[in-house]
Amino acid sequence: MNFKHKYLFLLPGLLVLIGILIFPVGFTVRLSMSSWDSFFPGLDYVGLENYFRIFQEDSRFWEAFGRLSFLSVTTVTLQYVLGFALALMVWKDIAFKRFFRVLFLIPMMTTPVIMTVIWKTFFHESLGPVNDFLNIFGWNPLWLSSEILSKITVIIVEVWQWTPFMFLLLLAGLLSLPKEPYLAASIDGAGPYRTFIYVTFPLMAPISIGAIIIRLIEASKIMDTVYVLTSGGPGTATETSSFYIFIKGLREFQFGYSAALSFTYLIIMIISLTIIAKVLVRLMIRDN
Amino acid sequence: MDLLAKELVYQPGSEFHLDSMSFGMKKGEIYTLLGRTLSGKTTLLKTIAGLIQPDSGRVLFEGKDLNSIPVWKRNIAMVYQQFINYPHLNVYDNVAFPLRQRAISDNELRLRVSDAIERVGLKDFESRRIQELSGGQQQRVALARSLAKQAEILLLDEPLVNLDYKLREQLREEFSKIFTSEYSSDSILIYSSTDPMEAMQLGGETIVLDEGRILQQGPASEIFENPATTRVAEITNDPAMNLLSGEIAGSKVIINSKMSFDIPIHFRNLASGQYTFGIRASDIALDKKGYPFNVELAEISGSETFLHAKNENVSLVGQLDLVKNFNVGEKVNLHLDSQKLYAFGLDKNLASSPFKELARG
Amino acid sequence: MRKLYITLKYLFIGLWSMFVVAPFLWALSTSFKDFNSVTGGATYIPWVDFEPSLEGWKVLLRSPAQGGVNIVEPYFNSIAVTCLASFISIFLGTLAAYALSRFTFKASFIKNSDITFFFISQRIMPPIVLSIPFFIMLGKLGLLDSMLGLIMVYVVLLMPIAVWIMVDFFNKVPKEIDETALIDGCNPYQAFYKVVLPNSIPGLIVAGMFCMIFGWTDFFFAFILTFTEVQLLPVAIVALNSSITPWWSLSASALVSVAPLIVVAFIVERYLSKGNLSGALK
Repeated sequence: MNFKHKYLFLLPGLLVLIGILIFPVGFTVRLSMSSWDSFFPGLDYVGLENYFRIFQEDSRFWEAFGRLSFLSVTTVTLQYVLGFALALMVWKDIAFKRFFRVLFLIPMMTTPVIMTVIWKTFFHESLGPVNDFLNIFGWNPLWLSSEILSKITVIIVEVWQWTPFMFLLLLAGLLSLPKEPYLAASIDGAGPYRTFIYVTFPLMAPISIGAIIIRLIEASKIMDTVYVLTSGGPGTATETSSFYIFIKGLREFQFGYSAALSFTYLIIMIISLTIIAKVLVRLMIRDN
Repeated sequence: MDLLAKELVYQPGSEFHLDSMSFGMKKGEIYTLLGRTLSGKTTLLKTIAGLIQPDSGRVLFEGKDLNSIPVWKRNIAMVYQQFINYPHLNVYDNVAFPLRQRAISDNELRLRVSDAIERVGLKDFESRRIQELSGGQQQRVALARSLAKQAEILLLDEPLVNLDYKLREQLREEFSKIFTSEYSSDSILIYSSTDPMEAMQLGGETIVLDEGRILQQGPASEIFENPATTRVAEITNDPAMNLLSGEIAGSKVIINSKMSFDIPIHFRNLASGQYTFGIRASDIALDKKGYPFNVELAEISGSETFLHAKNENVSLVGQLDLVKNFNVGEKVNLHLDSQKLYAFGLDKNLASSPFKELARG
Repeated sequence: MRKLYITLKYLFIGLWSMFVVAPFLWALSTSFKDFNSVTGGATYIPWVDFEPSLEGWKVLLRSPAQGGVNIVEPYFNSIAVTCLASFISIFLGTLAAYALSRFTFKASFIKNSDITFFFISQRIMPPIVLSIPFFIMLGKLGLLDSMLGLIMVYVVLLMPIAVWIMVDFFNKVPKEIDETALIDGCNPYQAFYKVVLPNSIPGLIVAGMFCMIFGWTDFFFAFILTFTEVQLLPVAIVALNSSITPWWSLSASALVSVAPLIVVAFIVERYLSKGNLSGALK
């Protein structure tokens, strides 16, 4: 179908989006070519100087990016495996099916920043219940102030918060699967393990890819959790790209430089997400 | 001519959906578009409806150019092969939907809707929801909606193809009754189908389509008796007409080294030389004195058996009037009724048919 | 073998349920504590482990002048901003999604899928990237610390979600239904609101739920772009976190903030059970 009316459907949304975004994005690009900071506020022009600084001097940004990659890939993988397992378990009839479905959805309905405040008290190294329990065995792990453990704490909180999202998408996918392939598999005498490998998983591949990409997009913005839980610390142990940009921009007020960081980050993200999407499609969707 | 198509071309990708198509249609007539899947039937119907803008060419209705009239202002009704209705409305509201889009008095609306629903036999189902109906009933609702509209052009795109066999037979009969006896003479009815039987049953004018082109147009019986080309012979028969290449040499028809017979009388005017001979599957029979064939496949369908058999380079499908199991590789003797043989020239055009002698010398 | 599987399954479900519930139970317990019960080490059961106090809950309703945080106003601000932004996003997003699903757009190398990607890619931008220019822009427009400014920003955040879900939903609605509506005399707008919309309610509900969730749970933009006039709930709660962390009122307010979205969880589950959601999500 093709009518001139089609623009009246598309354009309101598109124009509103572009209208609201054109200034912020354009301004970020312009800002990234200035040296605006708290000492010399103003839109001067320094060319690509900020970008040279990122690529030549700023190892902290790249470390933060590496950490972000590690954190988001780990959390999304865990969320996918756990979310898929949970979805499979409440897919078919089990006792209290609906109760568990609602229960499993609840964490994603909570505000990350608020729940992280609760998690901070939960993992509090002397007053929290976790160490209170582990003290029985004589352990007192430093959940928030050890370099390695603080990363694990961030991962636990992220997995708690967002596994439900994966669970929801995958369960919706499972519930919409056609019945015929299962009939065929049971006629062929395939057991539950083989049925999963040869029927369920391939049928779920497109949904899985969509869910993983969406989660990767969301996970790469990880910020609230880090801000409240560890403030990027100890040292820079849990500092992610967003948080580093936040420090440069809104703590040290290096607006020009943080804009260049933002723009660099965006380009890297768009490229890497496109590559990840292509790789996932190749890995998960085999011929046939 | 009331509906005229002039050189319609539509080529969305590398292939033509409509390849310079022209035709004329008259009010009060039934037209059947006969063609295989992807032959351009649906594209043509959608072009007439206005859902597709052709790349070039025009559609004229009563002298007016339809290209400048948007779909919703054309006086057209259409039934799809999928059972398309409005799922959020009940049967009555579905049928009334097109009428409510126009300024029609409540009384007339009620009359026309009830009448249409009654004609398709859904009188007691007026307040049912669409999802509660069977596939056949859903298609009846779609038909009732198109009848109630009393459009000047009624398009039916393979309306029976998604129904099971029995229901299809039954509905086909009802449909042709509704169309021939009651459908108003002020409108053009265009029915698309892949099934030659349907074209025969509806009567009227048949238009054979292939790859976006019109291959032949004429009364259904004429096309059945005298297919203009080998392609038409394939499309208008189910199973497709068997085509065998061979030659006429003097008073003999020679297919291959083992198959030759005396020339049938309706071939007497054909010159010697290479031809493509056509024979319908139903004109092949088991006969002890026939030619030896090897069975390649046999399918039983109802009270008939479709036998795929081979003799050297000649492969045939025979439609046998019996139910019998054949083993693959089994030897059978088949008789080809030479009185029913068609001959097509090297240009693939009909040279002679059992019903008509065309070529001379 | 089968018995082992079932045992493991219920063990896993049990453990995960505990993991899900644990922070809530901890918050519930903490909300009834006072300064002494918190600093004395981890305690769990009121009356047994500690003397319960309603201080944490009372603070939420007291005005700031009396040393409390009035959580009622931020609560309604959050509801208003979330609902309005969700509504606008769904309205515009659904129209755009319908266009992207039904019509073909082509401008040199840009096709439908590129436009869809443009919408969805807005989610890739971390809040921090946009927050500084938004701060400056809203400042120039005089919309800092105003509801209108926040709604503008949230529309950018939520419209991609609406487009993503609705494009997928419309792709599964047979286009022949709209075509029939056109043939039956509807122009494209009438076909959209008389036929397509009434049959898209499951998709609209799912898109609505997602917009509500992502709008309600945002913190960063509200944190940067508002100060005192339009304080949103998450900001108000995090603001409690001053020099002495008042665990009790934080816990109480966290529980209060989760409450309305539990209703959303029930609605989502209901649609999931009826199988309606599966058509709307892929």
